[in-house]
Amino acid sequence: MNRILAAAVAAAFMVTSCALAVAAPGKQSSTTLTGAGSTFVDPLVQQWVPAVAQAYGYELQYSPIGSGGGVAAVSSRTVDFGASDAPLSRDQFGACKGCVQIPWALSATSVIYNVQGVRNLLHMNGATLAKIFSGAITSWNDPAIRKLNKGVALPDLKIATVHRSDNSGTTFNFTDFLSSASPQWRSKIGTGVAVSWPGGTGSRGSSGVAATVAQTPGAIGYVDVAYALKSRLTYFAMQNRSGKFATPGLKGILAAASSDQKPDGTNALSIVDPPKKYPLAYPISTFTYVIVPLQSQKAPELKKFLFWAVTKGQKAGPRLLFQPIPKPVLVVAEKAIARIHA
Amino acid sequence: MEALEPPRLAVRRFRAGDLSLQTVAGAAALAAAFLVCLIAYTIVRDAKPAWSKDGLAFVTRDAWDPVKHVYGAGSFLFGTAVTSLVALALAAPLALGVALFLTELAPRRLRGPVTALVETLAAIPSVVIGLWGILVLGPILRDHVEPALHSTLGFIPLFGPPASTGSSVFTAIVVLTIMILPIVASISRELFLGVPGELKEGALALGTTRWEMVRGVMFPYARGGIAAALILGLGRAVGEAIAVTQVIGSSVGIHWNLFATGDTLASKIAASYQGAEDGAQVASLVYLALILLVFSLVMNVSAQLIVRRVARRQGIGAARA
Repeated sequence: MNRILAAAVAAAFMVTSCALAVAAPGKQSSTTLTGAGSTFVDPLVQQWVPAVAQAYGYELQYSPIGSGGGVAAVSSRTVDFGASDAPLSRDQFGACKGCVQIPWALSATSVIYNVQGVRNLLHMNGATLAKIFSGAITSWNDPAIRKLNKGVALPDLKIATVHRSDNSGTTFNFTDFLSSASPQWRSKIGTGVAVSWPGGTGSRGSSGVAATVAQTPGAIGYVDVAYALKSRLTYFAMQNRSGKFATPGLKGILAAASSDQKPDGTNALSIVDPPKKYPLAYPISTFTYVIVPLQSQKAPELKKFLFWAVTKGQKAGPRLLFQPIPKPVLVVAEKAIARIHA
Repeated sequence: MEALEPPRLAVRRFRAGDLSLQTVAGAAALAAAFLVCLIAYTIVRDAKPAWSKDGLAFVTRDAWDPVKHVYGAGSFLFGTAVTSLVALALAAPLALGVALFLTELAPRRLRGPVTALVETLAAIPSVVIGLWGILVLGPILRDHVEPALHSTLGFIPLFGPPASTGSSVFTAIVVLTIMILPIVASISRELFLGVPGELKEGALALGTTRWEMVRGVMFPYARGGIAAALILGLGRAVGEAIAVTQVIGSSVGIHWNLFATGDTLASKIAASYQGAEDGAQVASLVYLALILLVFSLVMNVSAQLIVRRVARRQGIGAARA
């Protein structure tokens, strides 16, 4: 009886594995668009999934595996498009062989804190923030912080910095800002999706950083703005080059975005810490990019989807604190999309 | 069932069965060996760029700077050793206590439910334990346990100033202790159940106390098996990635303060592999995996040796080991 059972199990196993082997390639022929990359842009893309299905009947599958992973995936052509918060480096462009990078969403990073009894939107600037994250400023009642927040009773509380332990476009945006604001940070630590932090606690993902900050009196961390709003944490108003304190809202992001509307040859835009003629700009804003091979078997579908994403798709943004991309950038994006071919 | 059939018939039928059993089992064993070789090959191949750049200096260097492309395994290796060994040292007596309680001391009505609960602990996914570590355990340790230990035993470098966030090497150790406790406890329970009743009764009949019986009969009988259970637990602690990543606070550097942040090999790989941007970092992460592989192998082999030695010295335990 045991043998009969074993034979039956073996037969069932073989049948299912054959069935799986047959079913897998069959899926390719339907219009499924697969993408992978940035977690930052994920909430927006998830809004697009049902809308794209409704508009074109395409099945959109997006895996938020992180910017670096998305670039690697599109370079090996295991997905139809990749998404990255940091513009591609020259090496990455080389490895991707004939890829184009298109700005397709616009948002910001907010710096969150946890101090009991202190109001939201305390003032902060880049130089002080760089000192805090380097460990040079360790207390909430440090003169540098008090000077920025006159009239606010700041407690004698130890500052605990919290950063991302995984690779993240949010970290890139944040360290890009610190590098811009502090020469010491630029030379000692630098800018990247992960850096060698001089101290503090690493947590996994935006959710991890937000949880650790929420658990720790005196903590300062950074997450994408949508996350800060969702988790009801207090966050800083950041001083920009004009000396004004800007909040990470749609207005501040739009003002920052207007500082660079002429993408370079690779369509990269830099809007971090914009010059002082943009008094409303929130200084830790960033474009995020979709990366597509210029030659793609699914070119017609991919083009349709991308055109939709940079136009109609942007309407889903503001609710999630993604500012629709400005006109001049849209023109650049559309030109780039038009170059995709079969 | 087979034994009831006439012997001659059984022999003839067995031929075909034997052959197919041998083929299937042999193929399975070969496939497993092949898979291990394939994994080892892939890891060695992908680690090669980092290996040829840094060589053995990589193993001890305690830096990890993706911006300047300086990588080293020193602090992760140290963190892995500290977290897994301390967790094992904490879990071992607790697990043996649980096992003894369940086999010898607990009232019969309690044994079933408590055993089931201990085994449920082993079934909780590590990511859930990690989450609990962030939200509940970390803050408790930070606010109550760490300050107390620091103020009473602060002269020992292990108990330095408490962490500001709940994340620390200590939190990771406690999480790992909780994770390996049920494994060691349930294996030890099985071992204690396997101690022949007549041996225990004999000891008690000779007038030993219950503790003397446990110490003199049960422990020696199960010694080899307990060592094997501890190895399994250690393996779990060394390889655990997600739960550790969530609570250890990922920082680079070698220090003795358990209450500061740290990192382990598995946790670093889990945190950084996804989204690693350039080839050098990926190669360095795979190099970490290679070190983890060798580290586990060395621990496994040395543990096997210990078990064998214990078993040899204890004639009776040999059968169980």
